[in-house]
Formats: sequence, C-alpha cells, structure tokens
Amino acid sequence: MIITRHFDEPKLHELETYRKLGGYEGLSKALAMKPAEITEEVRKSNLRGLGGAGFPAAAKWGTVPPADKVPGPRYVVGNCDESEPGCFRDRVHVERAPHQVLEGLLIAAYAIGAKDAFIFIRGEYGRPHRALQTAVKEARAARLIGDDILGRGFSCDVMLMRGGGTYISGLDTALLESMEGKKSWPRQPPPFPTNYGLMGFPTLVHNVATLAMLPHIAARGGEWFAKIGTPKSGGTMIYSVSGHVEKPGVYEFPMGTPLRAIIEAAGGVAGGRGLKAVIPGGTSTPPLSADDLDLPMDFDSVRGKGSFLGAGGIIVLDETADMVEVVRLIIEFLSHESCGQCTPCREGSVWTERILERMLEGAGRPGDPANLERVAGNVTGRTICALGDTVGIVLKAYLKKFPEEFAALAGRNESVMRQEATANG
Amino acid sequence: MMGLLEAMRQVQEWHRCVTLEDEAFLAGLFKTTAAHVHEVATFYPAFTAKPVGRHRVGLCRGLSCQLKGAPRMAAYAEKKLGVRDGQTSADGRLSFETMECLGACDCAPALTVDDELQGAATEALLDKLAAELK
Amino acid sequence: MARITLNGRPIETADGALMIDVAKEAGIHIPHYCYHPALGNPGNCRMCLVEVQGAPKLQPACRLKAVDGMVVRTDSPAVQAAQAGALELHLVNHPLDCPVCDQSGECGLQDYYMTIGRYKSGVAEDKRHMAKRKPIGPHVMLDQERCLWCTRCTRFLANVVKTAELGIFGRGHGQVVDLAPGKVLDNPYSGNVVDICPVGALTDRDFRYKVRAWYLESVDSVCPGCSRGCGVQVHTSTKRPWHNEGRRVARLKPRYNPEVNGHWICDEGRYSYKTLDQDRLGKVLRLRPAPAGLSAVGTELSWDAAWKEIAGRAGELMADKGAGGLAVIASGALSNEDWRSFKKLFVDSWKVVQFLFAPEPDQVGPEDSLLRRKEKVPNLKGGEALGFGTEFRSMSWDALARSIEAGRIWGLYVVDRDVAGVWGPAAAGLLGRLDFVVFQGPFKGGTGDLAHYRLPSTAYVEEEGSFTNFEGRLQRYAKALAPLGAALPDWEIFEGILARHRAGKGEAL
Repeated sequence: MIITRHFDEPKLHELETYRKLGGYEGLSKALAMKPAEITEEVRKSNLRGLGGAGFPAAAKWGTVPPADKVPGPRYVVGNCDESEPGCFRDRVHVERAPHQVLEGLLIAAYAIGAKDAFIFIRGEYGRPHRALQTAVKEARAARLIGDDILGRGFSCDVMLMRGGGTYISGLDTALLESMEGKKSWPRQPPPFPTNYGLMGFPTLVHNVATLAMLPHIAARGGEWFAKIGTPKSGGTMIYSVSGHVEKPGVYEFPMGTPLRAIIEAAGGVAGGRGLKAVIPGGTSTPPLSADDLDLPMDFDSVRGKGSFLGAGGIIVLDETADMVEVVRLIIEFLSHESCGQCTPCREGSVWTERILERMLEGAGRPGDPANLERVAGNVTGRTICALGDTVGIVLKAYLKKFPEEFAALAGRNESVMRQEATANG
Repeated sequence: MMGLLEAMRQVQEWHRCVTLEDEAFLAGLFKTTAAHVHEVATFYPAFTAKPVGRHRVGLCRGLSCQLKGAPRMAAYAEKKLGVRDGQTSADGRLSFETMECLGACDCAPALTVDDELQGAATEALLDKLAAELK
Repeated sequence: MARITLNGRPIETADGALMIDVAKEAGIHIPHYCYHPALGNPGNCRMCLVEVQGAPKLQPACRLKAVDGMVVRTDSPAVQAAQAGALELHLVNHPLDCPVCDQSGECGLQDYYMTIGRYKSGVAEDKRHMAKRKPIGPHVMLDQERCLWCTRCTRFLANVVKTAELGIFGRGHGQVVDLAPGKVLDNPYSGNVVDICPVGALTDRDFRYKVRAWYLESVDSVCPGCSRGCGVQVHTSTKRPWHNEGRRVARLKPRYNPEVNGHWICDEGRYSYKTLDQDRLGKVLRLRPAPAGLSAVGTELSWDAAWKEIAGRAGELMADKGAGGLAVIASGALSNEDWRSFKKLFVDSWKVVQFLFAPEPDQVGPEDSLLRRKEKVPNLKGGEALGFGTEFRSMSWDALARSIEAGRIWGLYVVDRDVAGVWGPAAAGLLGRLDFVVFQGPFKGGTGDLAHYRLPSTAYVEEEGSFTNFEGRLQRYAKALAPLGAALPDWEIFEGILARHRAGKGEAL
C-alpha cells in the first residue's frame, strides 16, 4: 500500500503527524533534483493517470511545451471533482491525507515549472474541502507553500476552488472552463490542456490520486514504484468498493491484482448471495460478468474485457439486480449531467432514458432493444467529450450482456396488449 | 472571470439563492455580461433562483445508494421532514433534495446536511435530523 | 501548402485550412449547423463528421485542419450514417411544425432530411415542450422548441455586436435559448440572428407569415441606406399580390461581401424595404402651387411634354436672369450613371453654379464601428469623382434660404431631397418666391407639392446602376422590379431634358 498506508492514523490530516510519518520528504528530495530528473523517474515508474484515462503520466508531462516555445505561466490542477457514481476514494483520501495531495501537487508544479497550483474539489465535499483548507494553511505557515519552499528557491502558491455540482466539471477541459468562471462546456481538443489550458496557458491536470503517488516516486524512485505494478502500469490502484458487498470502502491494491481479491477484501457479496455482475470503474464503465473474477485489474487487462478500470469505482451487483433498471439509472444520471453542448449526447441520453423508462413501466415495444442499440451507435464516437461516448458504450454493453432482460421488457407490444384487452372483455 | 463560481457560491450562502439582482452585481464585479452570469447561475445546481432552506438535506440517488434502499429512504425523508423532493419547507427551515452521486457509496444511502456527510440514511438518523435541524 | 485527397480527388490547399472550407471550395457541401465562417467552429452539432484515413474516429470537418498527405472522405457509408444519425438526434425533440413554420423552404433540418436523411423515424416518445412565439425584440421572434443550440446567435451577439442579449440557460436537455435578464434584442444588428439561425427558432417578425420562401425571387443589389454600401439580396414577391400585403419587396437579406459588409447588414438597411412601395410618385405632373393647406392642382403630362416645357422654361429664365440664379439640390443618393447625366445637364449645358449636396441635416444618422456610416446616402463618393466634391457641398441650406430671400435665386431644381423637412414651415414661403421649381424623386413629400413640375423617378430596386462607397469601391446593383407608374431612372430624366434643351437651341443631339 502506498497512498492508504497510514489511513488508520487518526491525526494523519495534521501536518505534524504527516511529517512524522515521512511526509514532505518526497518534496524535499524532488526539489534537490532537476525537473527533468523528476520526469525521468516518473517515466520509469510507469505511473498512469488514475482518474480514468490511464494515460502515462510522464508522456502527458512531455506534452507541456518548453518555456522558450510557449512563454508565460504554467499551471497544475489537482482534480478532486469526484462525481462518478461508485467513486468516493478521493473524498476519503483528501479528508484523511490532504498533505499527501498537496505534496504531490507541489512536485508536479516544480517538475513543469508552475508557480501556481490549484485543487478543484467538488462543492458537495464539505469536510474534505475544510481538511484541504486547513492543510494549505498549515503548509503555508511551515513554508511548504509560498515563496522559497524548503529554502530551495522554488516558489509556488496553492489555491482551492470548488465546483458547482456538475459531473461534467470533472473532465479536464470542462474543469478548466469552470475554473475560469464559465459553464462547464468541455473544450474540444486539440489543443490539449498541456498546451492550451487555464486562461490559455499550459496546464497539467491530474487526478489527486495520481498526484499523491509523486511524493512516493520521488522518495523511493521510479523503479521501486514500477515493480509494484504490472509491466505497463506501475504502482497501485485505489478502489472505491460499494454495492452488494459486506464491507464497502476504499481499498488499495497493486496494479494487476485479480478482481476476486478486491471483492474478498471488501467482505465478498453481501448476504452470501450469488454474484451477477461487477462494474469495475464507476458507472460509466461496462459491467464485467461473474466469471471475470480472475481478471487482473489494470488498465490494459480490463480494457481487454471491453471495459475500463476508470477511477476504480467497483460496484458489485448480486443476483437480484435488475440490469435494465441499473442501466436506466446510469443513463438517467448521464442525461441529467449532460452539459447540453453537443447534440448526440444531449439528445441521445434523454431519448434512451425515456425508452428505458417506458420499457420498465411495462410499455416496451418489440423494436426497443434494437432501437437502443442503434441510437447508442449514433452517440458513441460522435460527441465532443467522453461523457457522450459513455452513453452509447454503457448502453451497448448492457444490451449485449443481458439481452434476455431487455427482451423480457420489450415483449409487450401494443397488439399483444390489445389482444389481452379483448380477451378480458 | 476566474473566481466567479466562488463568488457566486458566497452569494448563495448569504442569500440562500442567487437573485437576478445578485447576478447583475456579479456581472458588474467581474466585468462580464448578464447573459454570461445567468448562464453560469442556471447551469450549476449549486445555485438556486429561489431561496433554499436554512439547512439543505441531501439524499444520494446514485446507483450504489439505490441498491441500498435510497428510494425507500427518500420516501421516509419526505414524510418525516415534511418536504417533497426538491422543495423547501414553508417556514424556510429546510430543503430536501435527492442528489446525483454524493461520492459516499461506502455509506449508502448517503445523507448530507449542508454538504456535510452524515452517514448512511436510516429512519433513526432522519428522525434525529427532523428534530434537530432548526 | 498541403496536398490532400478529398473523395479521391487530389487538392492543393493552404496548410491548416479547415476541411469544411476546403471542401466548399472544391464544390463539396459538408452538412453543418454550428460552423459559420464568421463565428467560429465550436463543433457542437456533429453534422460535419468526415472520415480521415488513419484516424480511429470520424472527425468534425469544421475543426479538421488540412495537413499534407491527408486523405479525407465526405461520402463514405460511415460518414453518411454518422451524418444521418446526427440529424435524427437533432430531430428527436424538434416539434416538426413545418406547416406553420416560417423557415420552411430554407430550413437546415428540412434540407438535410431530404439530402442525407430520408430515414424512418424511430421516435416513439413524447417531445419536449418549451416556449413558442416569444417576441424577444422589435424584429425577432423566438421559438425555443425549434432551437438546435448551435450557438450561432449567442456567438454573434457576444462576439460581433458585443451586446450579448441572448444566452443558453440551464443545462443539458433542459436548457433553453433565451433573453438574458433585463435584456431586449434591440441592437442595430438584431435581424442578422434570423439569417444565421439554421432553423426556425429565430424568425423575422416582419417577414413572418407574409410569403413562403419558395415564392420569392432574389436579385443582387446594394443597400442605399448609407455610404457603406452593404451587399444585399432583394427578395421580391410579385406574382401573388395577396401575399405580403401587396408589397413587391418581401425582405432584404445580406449578401456576403468580405470587402464591405462580411455576412451582416444593419436593421436600418434591412427593414428599409417596407416603404419602397409606399407614397410613391407615379405621374408626371405640372402643378399650380396651392395656397397653404390645400393640395396642389396638377395636370398630367407625358414625359416628352414635361421635358420640353422644363427645358423651354429653364432656357427662357436663364437667358433672362442668368444661370447664376438657378440652384440645384441633390444628394449622394444618385447613382454613378445619374451623376454623369446630372453633370452633362446642369454643369456642361446649363452652367449652373449653385449646388447643394451636403448630407446634413436630413441625410445623416447614427454610425458605429461595425457597419453603419453617418451619411445615410450611398454615393457621395460617386459625385465627388465627377467634381461634385466638398467645394459644392459647402453651400449651406441657410445660405440658400438667404439667397432666395434676397432675390438672387429665381429657380430651384430639387433631386430627391426633403426641402420642406429641412426648412420647415418656411419652405412654402421660400419656394413661393421662385419662378421655377422642379421636384424629381420616387416618393411623395412636402417638396413635391410645392413644385411647378413633379417628376417621378425610380427606386433603386427598379433600376440598375452603381454606387461608389465611402472607401471608393464601385459596386453594381441590379434591377429587381419594374418601375412604378411612369417613373424613370434619374439619369433618363436628366437626359430627356438635356435633349429637348439642345433641340430648342438647335444643337446637335
């Protein structure tokens, strides 16, 4: 365990305790290195973005243009706008170990030459926000934030910003729009934020869990980190496990740990019932089957099963789960959270939501599953951002995995109902 | 316009809503248009045109919470708090709202008061809140 | 330079050129709603998706920059399916009220349904309902249900006019396009939002329900409303007088001219057409000026008779009292053709020296940095080019009035100027002192009734010609309609008088 190692320590959120447990040693080591050397360690570590995309962190840093090519400020933003159903690890993390996030943020800032760093945290996270505020205050007082950090000549300020309660703001370009005081309509890359980010300047946006890995990589080296995971994904993954399990909570495992081990750690399926499916990375990721329990959990292996590791939001669904209702809830969420900017997502989400509602109300038509499939195909790959893609990807996955559940609701068409009405007089 | 959301959040806390007058003030402060401020105020659920209650009770309706009985708890909360989903009590004491995933699936169905996580909603917890929130 | 392959055709284009523009240049139309060359490419409508060899996903052509070696298809089955799919999603919640929609016939949804759609509707759900028939300003009507949220209108208002009256409020499928709090869409360029709206969400309150778009005929013209000379299309409806309240011009639309007006025109110009058929002069008249309060009594003349009388009378008076006592009032409303004949008659032949061309005070108005110019006439520069420059324009209305009062002036030839409007009640007294007053113009007005001869001239839509705008740009305009009554272009009237004048003096024609 890397991130959650000291989570049981009651005063971990306090600077004194955090430092006693080795906190800010990573920053100290990093500031003794050249920025390029840190990037090299991160490259060796095989650290990948833990917010969902799984993009290699060092590769992302490499796309920040050098100062002689694009002059002006650089920014780092810690993304703590955790809003995907099934994901709550960032909440726990930030509340328990806010300094770990700040330390990572400062290392990233030093590595790309940013003098201003931000943490964007969802507005509904009252306590975690306060924990961060206190941590920033403590760190500033201890000269860990501000001018001449640790006397090494590096200066960086940290500012906290809160979201307005929209899921879409968790997407990097939408998050930047929100920070700039606009509605969170995603930008359409290219250019990517590392080239054109906050206020148009190069900006590195990382999930806070990704940032929190940096102090450990700086302290113990990239090779150490890489060895913990799989050849292509270094280190650990932090999971939020919920749904039909005995002990929902935050669990950290090395990349590549089988799904079974994670669910067992969470106490297994609640009430000893049978397992129907597992959502591996939050509700925007396609479900895995009960017989996928031996799947190694890392970005590439889960991808191989047609799903995504996402942000590690594992939701366990037992044999009682109604999968049409499950996907309706997911689509309802996406439709509610669709930002409205591009047509396929805005219209496709609400249309399919209505079809699913109608089916569940008993007015399904024989053509509904095929129509859902078709509309899903017209949304995925046609939208500005990944939220839109998700609508189609998720729908298609549930249609493919649980066709009989959809078929059962699609059977009752109007002619059948008319016949019944006639038969009943 | 960096900071507009934070400023608007402050206004929401002071007035328990963001009125058109507030919007006009913010537009002046941030040197932007009425259209822009109104777009922001209407886009984010954190901002409301009408005053919300002194206390905002939120019940998560995310998937994990649905699996753990959120609909039943929502019905109980409406009854116990005397406020329908999305409404504010006549005396302005409290609002109740079922919300998209609150990021607390480990204590499903998650209940918050004024963005503070209270834990999993139970009848006992809701009884206590109904009595305590003034 | 980028060498690309578009639908199998090799094309050379600028590096980084937008594919949607490159295709247009090559004669290939890529469907789109949100993209507008003057308003940017948010890429929100997803109609312009095209296939790029090597790219895993279809790419929006409005954001795709041409790179050397790029191979693009706009006509593959995948592209056609994607575009039809995007269209279907635009139509899921569209009210389909085409029979009562003014956009019918020129609607982006109808057009694309017929070209790339033609699918069987899969919609079994109820449609979303929002506000319909909401007046949002003096000229524009909003129908929220028909909106596609392409954001062209909000971008135009925020970035071009910078007034930002409209916004998109709310989020997702619940969002609406609407007026910002406390705003009314009443800026001087409001009518342009109707043109850029690809559907019937924003319609023209003036044009609504007057004529179906497919009954209109279009002629290229130039707006005479100010010295900018914006390109316009004159849309006429002449075969169905029971439409459009009998008016022959149904509307003016901007005609793209990158050098002059870009894609836009102002509302002053746009709605100037309404009076084109109102209060027109149709007859050639000899008038006996009436006492105040009574209308003049007129005798209708043929053009030939009128020209002979005017040439003869002017000739007599000039021989008797000298050409210095004849003043001519005209304006930059004359076309270059008019100015040429004007010069031949008044300067070369009659040797007139008293001219008044100043646009003030009756031909000036508001101006701004976008299009509108202060001088509300199209062709001051054309006059200047023929010598009717500032030295002529320096003669003031006051000076002219004083000259008349002092008896130094015996005649006045007024070409489409509102003398009564400038001099007010004094006009009748001043003109009453003169031996010879001619009024020539398309419209009735105070001056016409005070003249000895009243000559009907054509409106600009009834003639062809050219204007020279304030930058010196020569622009031709075409004839959209037949003249009303006996009206002739100004230059023909001048030529007619000139010919009779020369004949009277025995000069060769």
